[in-house]
Amino acid sequence: MTRTLRRGWNRLFGTLLHRNAGDADFAEELHSHIQLLAEENIRRGVSPQEAYRRAKLQFGSIESTKEMYRDQRGLPVFDAIAQDLRYAVRGIRRNPGFATVAILSLAIGIGANTAIFSLVNSVLLRPLAYKDPQRLFAVSELLPHSFGQTPVPVNPTHARAWAKDCPSVEQVALMRGNRAAVAAGGEPAFFPTADVTHNVFALLGVKPILGRTFLPEEEQEGSHGVVILSESLWRSRFNADRKVIGKSILIDRENYQVVGILPGWFRLPYGVASATNIQFELFRPLVLGRDEIARLMGNFNYAAILRLKRGKTADQGLAEINVVQAQFPRLAGSTDRELKAKLIPVHEFATGRSRLALWMLAAAVGAVLLIICINLANLLLARITSRSREAAIRSALGASRGRQFGMVLTESLLLAISGGALGILFSGWAVHLLVSTTTLDIPRLDDARVDSTVLVFAFCLTVLTGFVFGVLPAWRLTRNDPQEALRAGSHTVTEGRRGLRLREGLISLEVGLSAALLIVAGLLAGSLTRLLHVNKGFDADHVLTVDIGLSGHLYVEPVNREKFFDRLLAKVSAISDVQTSGIITALPTRGQTWNDPIYLEGAGDRIEERHPVDNRYASPGYFRAMSIAVLGGRGFEERDRGHGVAVLSEKAAQLLWPGDPNPIGRRFIGEDDKPKTLIGVVAEVRAVLDSDPPAMAYYPYWQRPPDGVSLVVRTTAGPQTAAGALRTALRSEDAQLPIQRIRSMEDVVDGSVAQRRFQLTLMGAFAASALLVASLGIYGIVSYSVARRRNEIGIRMALGAQRFELLALVIRQGMTPVVLGLTAGVVLALFLGRAIRGLLFEVQPTNFLTIAGAIAVLLVVGMVACFIPARLAAGTDSVAALRFE
Amino acid sequence: MSAKAEVWQGTLALLVLKTLNAMGPQHGYGIARRIEQTSEDLLSINHGTLYPVLLKLEQEGAIASEWGVSENNRRAKFYRITRAGQKQLASEVSQWEQATEIVGRFLALKGAKA
Repeated sequence: MTRTLRRGWNRLFGTLLHRNAGDADFAEELHSHIQLLAEENIRRGVSPQEAYRRAKLQFGSIESTKEMYRDQRGLPVFDAIAQDLRYAVRGIRRNPGFATVAILSLAIGIGANTAIFSLVNSVLLRPLAYKDPQRLFAVSELLPHSFGQTPVPVNPTHARAWAKDCPSVEQVALMRGNRAAVAAGGEPAFFPTADVTHNVFALLGVKPILGRTFLPEEEQEGSHGVVILSESLWRSRFNADRKVIGKSILIDRENYQVVGILPGWFRLPYGVASATNIQFELFRPLVLGRDEIARLMGNFNYAAILRLKRGKTADQGLAEINVVQAQFPRLAGSTDRELKAKLIPVHEFATGRSRLALWMLAAAVGAVLLIICINLANLLLARITSRSREAAIRSALGASRGRQFGMVLTESLLLAISGGALGILFSGWAVHLLVSTTTLDIPRLDDARVDSTVLVFAFCLTVLTGFVFGVLPAWRLTRNDPQEALRAGSHTVTEGRRGLRLREGLISLEVGLSAALLIVAGLLAGSLTRLLHVNKGFDADHVLTVDIGLSGHLYVEPVNREKFFDRLLAKVSAISDVQTSGIITALPTRGQTWNDPIYLEGAGDRIEERHPVDNRYASPGYFRAMSIAVLGGRGFEERDRGHGVAVLSEKAAQLLWPGDPNPIGRRFIGEDDKPKTLIGVVAEVRAVLDSDPPAMAYYPYWQRPPDGVSLVVRTTAGPQTAAGALRTALRSEDAQLPIQRIRSMEDVVDGSVAQRRFQLTLMGAFAASALLVASLGIYGIVSYSVARRRNEIGIRMALGAQRFELLALVIRQGMTPVVLGLTAGVVLALFLGRAIRGLLFEVQPTNFLTIAGAIAVLLVVGMVACFIPARLAAGTDSVAALRFE
Repeated sequence: MSAKAEVWQGTLALLVLKTLNAMGPQHGYGIARRIEQTSEDLLSINHGTLYPVLLKLEQEGAIASEWGVSENNRRAKFYRITRAGQKQLASEVSQWEQATEIVGRFLALKGAKA
């Protein structure tokens, strides 16, 4: 066994290293052998001539010995491959232009595919780092109300009941996103903070790298002053000091004892409204007040994560939860509507809306590579045609079909591997660029990198690519009848219809794929444009905004917060560039918040009488600062202090008083369960840009002074000029106040479409490259066929054909596959459009303008690509053309 | 010629090993001649067929080769048996003896019918 192995190894070695040297050595060895034989014969008295003859006889056939020796020395298969490789390298060297185009386009295609794959891999494919992630689910409650069911975050009392009463549920953890100011180790700044139940870490299976996680008793008011830090905060603010454990740090100007550090990879599967990719830096115990626990309905304010027991299915768990859910409306006094829940597998939840978009991008970039392959196959086919004579001679000399096939394939694989190697280098850079330049709501995107999985993918893709564009030409070449090829070898003959048709088919395929990509990119572009021009309900122009968070003992008393805002608003309105200013608890386009019901006085606890609305607290200047239209009544004024007043959006007013054209002055119960008089009705404002505005209720800030607001300022001059004065005003109020970036409202709106913009940019780039490659393909095939038909064209001209007739002839022939491909592409795009409908906004996949536009672009590009070679053909001098042979 | 026996391939390797073991380093010609002489010219080998066998043995590591100078002052490749080759030789010799013994016993049988 070892002997065989050893021999195999030596043979392989023999092939790779000593081929030429070995041949010469062996010849010499044989030569001296024969010499010795002959000399012996001479010694026996034979004449020298005869001695040599005999020696050769005794030795046997020298050539067949050599051949046997050669076959045994190396491995014939490898020899063949080595030969093919040398041949391929020669072929590439002979045609460096083609090789450069091929390698570069492959590098771009494979590189882009590898880059997108590394995103897909890290976001969609790589398993989550949680323990047994298949048993983890995010929970939403399905809230019945007057207009259907909406998934909302969960009520903490409900979540406790699931953990207690559902046998399939192992644990439920609650969390609430927040932010908290930390001043240690730098400027005071806000960090995303999660208040979590103590069990969340055990539930997810994460262990701290230092210290411990929370204890159950730390969820009690009074003993909750402990905090866990993320590894990144620990490094950036505490120099990775291990002694920080047990120390007190100031968070929101209160003392918290650091008890643990979480590993850097850890992400909380937290998702409420539009925010799903928050990287929390601080974790505090969640303390639930007595009044919160008492609330059976409403208070849908917590994110919940649930672990099922081993062996239980999601359906079982959900059925049990829904039984528990059914009791809450009943306890709250309503019988005819059902409260339900929804379980979302945590891996799906963690990828959120990026899932569809990433698959779309992956498909698009795959299509680009396919187009590149088709183009190269086409170019190779063209070269094959001119090499068919050579191939015919080879097969006449006894080269087997397999060898011929292998030769062409080796060339394409060599090109693919060169391109792939370059592409992998390029992809590392591309991934870095993608990850570092985008601020996207794609969880785990920042983990994306070119790792071993990605490399294996890239290698397989490269080999596959080489096969895809090499197989067709190789097959064509070996199918040639050598006799016919030799006969037809004189180049005066116009190329056979069959070969041309094959290549035209490939062009149609290229054009079809490009058309589909172009249409999809167009649909996305249309969606983005429409989104940016949608009636938002406010005017972002000339508006500056900055987030303000009040935290710590200074602002524990609501009255202190109220006074802070009073003073701040007075100072801000005194700034010369400021026209109007106001505060609001949540800016439009940043998501829905504070979902709680409002209802009429005397209404029961019945769900359909309690209308969930988006509740926000604002200052008198807010509506004017944002140019939100007041449709009836008025906005808040100073004289409203001390009175329970509210402003409703039109939709909210209709929920309370359907059909009442002028409800101003009527009374209802607000989110704080206190009576309010309606003083105004305002226009709808979008809480999320791409969904319909929710019903909204506004209250003056002094009715429940918030601890976090956004200040909005309408300026007279360019918005940024007031920024400095704004900062000074804030600092003079409280020097310790963390100040977030001052941004224009336009930036804020823009930030909310960043993900769409990212998708569109990539999609646009893919479509553009597809278009470029396809146009090169069209140009290539038309100019090639013009060159092949020079002779025919010359004859036509000699017979009196007009220039434009020839032009028309060439263009007609070149455009036929383009038009065919376009038709197929439009059909394909209709299917694709349906698949990505979730990414579109107010644009139908059948959108006429988009499709027509894409067709027009491709037709123009196709025409230009045909026209250049066609003009050359029409300009042919007939005499020269006929003499050309 | 007709009296001379042909050497079949498998056996040739054994003969080569045995020759090299007995005589020390030899070039191809020397090995071929030695085999012919030992068999008192009863065994005839086509000298050419020796080389694939030598190559195979060398690839298996049973013999090693180096260039040297022959008795007539020519450059020639000298083969010598390696330690692994000696082991191989010993085991092949015992296999061969066993095989001939068994075959010999069969041939020595007196037919019951005869």
